[in-house]
Amino acid sequence: MIYVLFIFLYPFENNRLLFLILAFLLGLVMDTFQDTGGAHAAASVTLTFVRPYLLKLVYGESYKMKNIKVLTTGIDRIFLLLLLCIVIHHLMFYSLVIFNSSQLFQLLKMTLSVGLATILVSMTIILLIKPRRS
Amino acid sequence: MQHIINFLIKYRNLLLYLILFSVALVFTIQSHEYQRTMFIHSTGNVTGALLEKRNTFYEYFDLDQQNEYLSSENARLRMRLLALGDTLLGSETTLIFSDSLPYKVIPARVIKNGYDKLDNFITLDIGSNQDIEPDMGVITSNGLVGIIDVTSADYSRVISILNSEMSLNAQIKGTSTIGSLTWDGSDPYIMNLIDVPRRAIVSKGDTIITGYQSTTFPPDIEIGVVENVVLVDNGSRYDIQVRLLNNMTDLGYVYVIKNRDKEAIQIIDTLQINE
Repeated sequence: MIYVLFIFLYPFENNRLLFLILAFLLGLVMDTFQDTGGAHAAASVTLTFVRPYLLKLVYGESYKMKNIKVLTTGIDRIFLLLLLCIVIHHLMFYSLVIFNSSQLFQLLKMTLSVGLATILVSMTIILLIKPRRS
Repeated sequence: MQHIINFLIKYRNLLLYLILFSVALVFTIQSHEYQRTMFIHSTGNVTGALLEKRNTFYEYFDLDQQNEYLSSENARLRMRLLALGDTLLGSETTLIFSDSLPYKVIPARVIKNGYDKLDNFITLDIGSNQDIEPDMGVITSNGLVGIIDVTSADYSRVISILNSEMSLNAQIKGTSTIGSLTWDGSDPYIMNLIDVPRRAIVSKGDTIITGYQSTTFPPDIEIGVVENVVLVDNGSRYDIQVRLLNNMTDLGYVYVIKNRDKEAIQIIDTLQINE
């Protein structure tokens, strides 16, 4: 599930068509390895599509002007954005994998537990690769 | 016309998103159907080879456990062999080594195992080059694993018994009561034996074995032990919780079962239907 970081860290750009296609292909590769049909692809495409709105939510209206990178912003902003991204991605993924409305509890349980693990590992990686302010 | 093009340019992101999302959705829905012709699965040459590489690495951490399994199975087989040697006399002993046995057993290695989803699949490192065909049964020394689903030249995919689409014919040992063994998707150690008639005699601790009605698995393979018995549908049927004997979360080596008489039995069965 760490591949969500790719979508998370992708630079802010206007070429969203390419970004959508890349996310779709990435998801499809995950699907072939895990035998999940198209659940990874659907979840990552959805996350890619809503990412600009999340960015607007977290960094405010003017995020495009400032020409910033996700990695260089404050750790609290990164955490908030990561939390939103992973909740959306995992909810989408597990609702497609479980595909059964009678198992809503199972869906929420899986989203919560796997989501927590993903956030932990992702935050560790981000802290490791985050450029230090000198 | 200008308006349509403007509209397309304005909403191109949304449109592309909708297209890609529906493609992914189609794949997902396909993967939830039982008999399917899908091309997104883990038996391809590239994915299979990568999974196998990964497995050769992980295998080292599991060697002790696998050695223990194999040696205990060897001991059990040796016991059987000694008992057999006692009963068979002279030339009849060669029966064991002849080609006319009804079941052919092919060993295989699990290179990918899943148990955390609702529909789980296992990938094996043998395929149609080793005479593996769809619908053959897969077992371990302790119990059932699943049924072969898709085969490529060198790899094959197994529908795990931990799959909501799976329904197996099973029987309570010592009686001829049969039922269907299914999985509800929650606990990888527990399966449910449903559609057991109320008059069946069943109690906690009984053993569940494979039935004679299946052409996929040989009869009398032990599957699990009865954990809990509940009457459902106004007390007309039993719903039995079965604790599996083998650990589906820890699979190393498995055996694929090829039934010699399968086609013959199926021909007889369809004859009855056409009558």
